[in-house]
Amino acid sequence: MSMDPFAEGREGSGVLRVETEGAPVAMLLRMQDVRKAAKDWKTYSSDLAPDIVIHSEADVRSVRQLPIECDPPDHTDYRALVQPLFDRPNKDPEYKAEIETLVDQMVADLVHESECEIVRGFALPLQSKALARLLSVPDSEADVWIQWGVHVFYDRDEAETEKNPLEAYTGEMFRKAEENPGEDFFSHLNQLHFRGRPLTFEEKQGFANVTFAGGRDTVINTISGIFAYLAEHPETLQQLKQDRSLILPAVEEFVRYVSPLTAIARKCPHATALPDGSEVSEGNRIAMCWPSANRDASVFSNPDEVVLDRKPNPHISFGFGKHNCLGAPHARLILRSLLTSLCDRVDEIQVLKKVAKLEEESSFTRENGYEQLNVKLLGNS
Amino acid sequence: MPKVTFITPENETITIENAEGTLMEIATFNDVDGIEGACGGVCSCATCHVRIPAEWQAKVGPASEAEQGIFDFMEEAGPDSRLGCQIEMREELDGLVVHVAGDEE
Ligand code: HEM
Repeated sequence: MSMDPFAEGREGSGVLRVETEGAPVAMLLRMQDVRKAAKDWKTYSSDLAPDIVIHSEADVRSVRQLPIECDPPDHTDYRALVQPLFDRPNKDPEYKAEIETLVDQMVADLVHESECEIVRGFALPLQSKALARLLSVPDSEADVWIQWGVHVFYDRDEAETEKNPLEAYTGEMFRKAEENPGEDFFSHLNQLHFRGRPLTFEEKQGFANVTFAGGRDTVINTISGIFAYLAEHPETLQQLKQDRSLILPAVEEFVRYVSPLTAIARKCPHATALPDGSEVSEGNRIAMCWPSANRDASVFSNPDEVVLDRKPNPHISFGFGKHNCLGAPHARLILRSLLTSLCDRVDEIQVLKKVAKLEEESSFTRENGYEQLNVKLLGNS
Repeated sequence: MPKVTFITPENETITIENAEGTLMEIATFNDVDGIEGACGGVCSCATCHVRIPAEWQAKVGPASEAEQGIFDFMEEAGPDSRLGCQIEMREELDGLVVHVAGDEE
C-alpha cells in the first residue's frame, strides 16, 4: 500500500480515470496540468455543487458550499466577505497566542499521560478546539463537534445516521446568534451583505458547511502523519530540536508529504481535451490530484522523502489559484505550534500500534493518515 | 550594509536600511503591505510576489524554475516577476528598488 499510488500514471499518460457513483472522473496527476486546471475556471468550473469532492455529497448535505462551489465573479465577492475571518492568524496576535497555548497545553497533557491514541485522543480534539478559537465560540461547542468524529460526513455508524448533524447544528447556531448576537462567526455571518443585501440562510449554511467539513480530516491526517513519521525517524525530532529554524520549512514539507486532501473536482461545461489526448464530455468532471502533483519528479527531487529544509518547495497541498485554501493560515499555525511544542517537551515518540487509513477507489487505493495511532511519548529529561 | 526600497500598490515607499535575509522576510518583518509570506519562504504560496525594475534585473537574476512553474499560470505575473522569498539581500543589491505586485488573490 502506498501514499502515492499515482507514480505510474503520472509518468505514463498523466491521467488516471476513476469511477464514483457510476460517474467517470479523470484525475490529473502532473504538477503543471493540475496548476493549469486550477487556474482555468472557464474550462474547469467550480459551479458543481454538491460534487466538489470526487464522491458526490448529495446524500450528506443540501447546501452549496461557499465560496468553494462557485466561479468568478460570484466567487470573488463571496470569498472577500469571509477572507478577514480566515486571515486572523496573520492579523491577530492574541488569537495566535491562544492557539499556541492550546497546542502546548495539549502536548503537555500528552507527555503526562505517556500513552495515547493520537487520532481521536489528540488530533480530533485539537482540531475542534482550535476551530472554536478561530470561530470565537466557547470550548463547550468544540465538545459537540468532537462527538461528530474525524470526518463530519462519514465517520459514523450507518445505524445512528438518521440525518447528518452538521446542517441542523449550524442552522441552530445562526438562529441563536440572531437572537443573541456576539462576536462569533455565526453572528458575524448574520451581519454580512452580499452585493447590498443580507446573506440568505442557504448562503450562510454554505459558508458554515465547508468551514466545518474542509478543515477537519485534512488537519487530523496531517497531525497523525507527523506523529507517525517522527516516531519512525527519531533523528528528525532531534534535528528539529537542535535547529528551530527548520520548523517553518518542515511544516511545509510535512504538508507536501502527507498531502491530506487527495483530490478536488471541477466540471467541464464544454467537451474538453485532456493532456493524454482523451476528451471529457460536456458536463463530466475532472479532478486535481494534489498528492500526485506534489511528488512530480520534474519539480521535486527525492519526492518520496521528507527533506526538512526543502527549499524551494512549491507544493500545492493547499490548492492553487483563486480557490486556494482559506484555512491555510489556521492550519499552518496549528502545525507550527505543534512542532514547536513537541521540540520543547518531547524527546522520543514510539509507536505502539498503527492502522493506516485507506481510501479505496475504483482504480487506486491510497494510504492517507491513520484510523488508529497509539504512541508512547518520552518527555524531555 | 545594503538598503532596499519597496513600493507598494498604493505607491507607498518603504526603505529599509541594513536589510538582512530574504526580501519576503524583510518585508513581513517591516509590515510592508501586500507581502504575506504565508508558507514561510519555501516558494509555495506566491504571496510575496514582487516586480523588479529593468535596471535591477541583471543583478537580481531571473526567476528560478520553481518560480517560473508558478508564474506560468498567474495572469498577474510578467517577465519582471520574482518571489521575494527567493531573493537574498546582499551587498551587490545595495539600493535595490522593487514593486510589490499586490495580487488580487
Ligand atoms: C492541512 C489542512 C488543509 C488542506 C491540505 C486543505 C486543502 C485545501 C485545498 C486543496 C483547497 C482548494 C480547493 C479547490 O481548489 O477547489 C482548499 C480550499 C478551502 N479550504 Fe482548505 N485545507 C486544509 C485546511 C483547512 C481548514 C483548517 C479550513 C477552515 C478552517 C479550510 C477551509 C477551506 C475553504 C473555506 C476553502 C475554499 C476556498 C475557496 O473556494 O475560495 N481548509 N483547502
